[in-house]
Amino acid sequence: MITRDFIQDRIDYLDKRENLLEIRNLKKYYPVTGGFFKRTIGNVKAVDDVSFSIRKGETLGLVGESGCGKSTAGRTILRLMKPTGGEILFEGKDITRLSGSKLQKARRDFQMVFQDPYASLNPTQMVGDIIAEPILNYEKRNKKELELEIKTLLKRVGLPEEAYYKYAHEFSGGQRQRIGIARALALHPKLIVADEPVSALDVSVQSQVLNLLKELQIEFDLTYLFIAHDLSVVKHMSDQIGVMYLGNLVELASNKDLYKEPLHPYTQALISAIPEPNPLKRKERIVLKGDVPSPQNPPAGCPFHTRCPVAMEICSQEKPALAEVRPGHQVACHLY
Amino acid sequence: MASSTTITQQKKPERSLSPWQIARRKFVRNKLAMISSFFIMLVTLMSLSAPFIAPLLSPLPDISKVNIGAMNIEPNGEHLLGTDKSGRDVLTRLFYGGRISLLVGFSATLIVITLGTVVGALAGFFGGFIDSLLMRFTDFVLNFPFLVFVIVLNTILYGIVDGLWVLIMVIGALSWGGVARLVRSKVLAEKENEYILAALSIGCSPFKVITKHLLPNVISTIIVQGTLIFATMIVIESALSYLGFGVPQATPSWGNMLSSANEPDVLQGKPWIWMPPAIIITLTILSINFIGEGLKDALNPKSLR
Repeated sequence: MITRDFIQDRIDYLDKRENLLEIRNLKKYYPVTGGFFKRTIGNVKAVDDVSFSIRKGETLGLVGESGCGKSTAGRTILRLMKPTGGEILFEGKDITRLSGSKLQKARRDFQMVFQDPYASLNPTQMVGDIIAEPILNYEKRNKKELELEIKTLLKRVGLPEEAYYKYAHEFSGGQRQRIGIARALALHPKLIVADEPVSALDVSVQSQVLNLLKELQIEFDLTYLFIAHDLSVVKHMSDQIGVMYLGNLVELASNKDLYKEPLHPYTQALISAIPEPNPLKRKERIVLKGDVPSPQNPPAGCPFHTRCPVAMEICSQEKPALAEVRPGHQVACHLY
Repeated sequence: MASSTTITQQKKPERSLSPWQIARRKFVRNKLAMISSFFIMLVTLMSLSAPFIAPLLSPLPDISKVNIGAMNIEPNGEHLLGTDKSGRDVLTRLFYGGRISLLVGFSATLIVITLGTVVGALAGFFGGFIDSLLMRFTDFVLNFPFLVFVIVLNTILYGIVDGLWVLIMVIGALSWGGVARLVRSKVLAEKENEYILAALSIGCSPFKVITKHLLPNVISTIIVQGTLIFATMIVIESALSYLGFGVPQATPSWGNMLSSANEPDVLQGKPWIWMPPAIIITLTILSINFIGEGLKDALNPKSLR
């Protein structure tokens, strides 16, 4: 039912939108303690000086290999963890230092879809109660009406109404993830952080869940921060894509630009690793040497210089800052 | 006709079995646990109805009155289990003793489970400084010289508070350390699950996260532990009473009755005086342990899925 008018409306709307979420120099360090008196002897910089913004109705994809801090970033942005530094602006309001009941009230507008569909649903709760709980945390509701509303929501995410009376263990991974999505949607939030929502699912189920998320985005006017390690998934979902390496944001660009012209050597290597379905088409594969360095003891200078195929002398001395080198295309690399 | 009705019955949107209902079904299928449950219920019922039953079964329904004319009678048609050295009917005292032993066991267990769960859940959930503080306090309590403390407190509080409740509170206040450690470790493991994070993100307060999400998922362990502690508490009561530091001598409890076996003469020549309490203590402890085992199997989360 996507008509020309609808598309035009959507384009007009997308042009006018504002930043829903703005992250400035976000830091999340975990102290490493040692010795007899548990002194802090260092920090694991899980998220180090990350800045980006997401406009209303858009999706920002955050990619990176495991351990690069993308999940930590997502959780810190939702204030499920306390940031070490930086600012998180949600609709222009600073939520970085909210706590207690104020934070609880603010949570209504930003929800999360979790990675593990098996661990993210309470096994002792009925599915109906799982989805009703966020609503009941904020509003007093008529029981009958609420049940009806939740059944409608269940149908919307592709589950039968009877799921209301069942328990999470009776569902498959994909169905459980739909329950998780329904729970996140129940409060009609503005922002949803999806933390690798499909990485635990079969490929065939992945696309269904991804398409559901895309449909819901338009229907519920949602903004997504989409975290994944699978570049093809991120490509399918995102308007903007940020690439993270060792707690740092190394490249930030629109979906099109990033895939057409990846600038950071790390991004180039990642994109060259996407499997090519056409066996006749040969493509150059950039293979990175070595492992990701320990985040507890990151290399000096550019965090990527130890594995970078085009590293220069300056790379081991000075850390490059994220800078806009093409319109709308930011990269942290000394090459540009 | 019959088959068509069953089909329509099946088609009805049924509510699924909750984890609790599944556990109940499994427990009911466990024969040993069910027999044990019936035994415990029987003992409880007998103890509760002692004032009504005792006069029917014995000519001497008074539990504390000394009857010089009826000392050390062997079991016969009149005194089904005989009488003790003060001429009190053993069967009557057994019934009344159950009231005390079960009351002490149950109340002390309740105190232990409540204190242990609260301390363990808070320590495990909040971690950090609160955890260290609560756990060091737990270590402190665990290292208390239990027997000495019970004796001293009993002596101090004797006459101020009813001796029975002193005993219950002292046992309860000194025994929750193990439960606190157990609950803490369970909470530590359980809170790593994403549904706890999810509960926070949908706006639950820490109190609600603990009571509605954490505890329902660790309660099975607590229940199983509770039954085992119930058994231990009955043993502790009996042991203390046997030593003379438990329930005041005038009140019959299974432990008090057992203490008459202190005398070699009774131990060797008059087994009807100490055998009944010994047997009923053993059977009760055994039954409670069987129930605990049954609950453990029934509540095993692995077989829930």
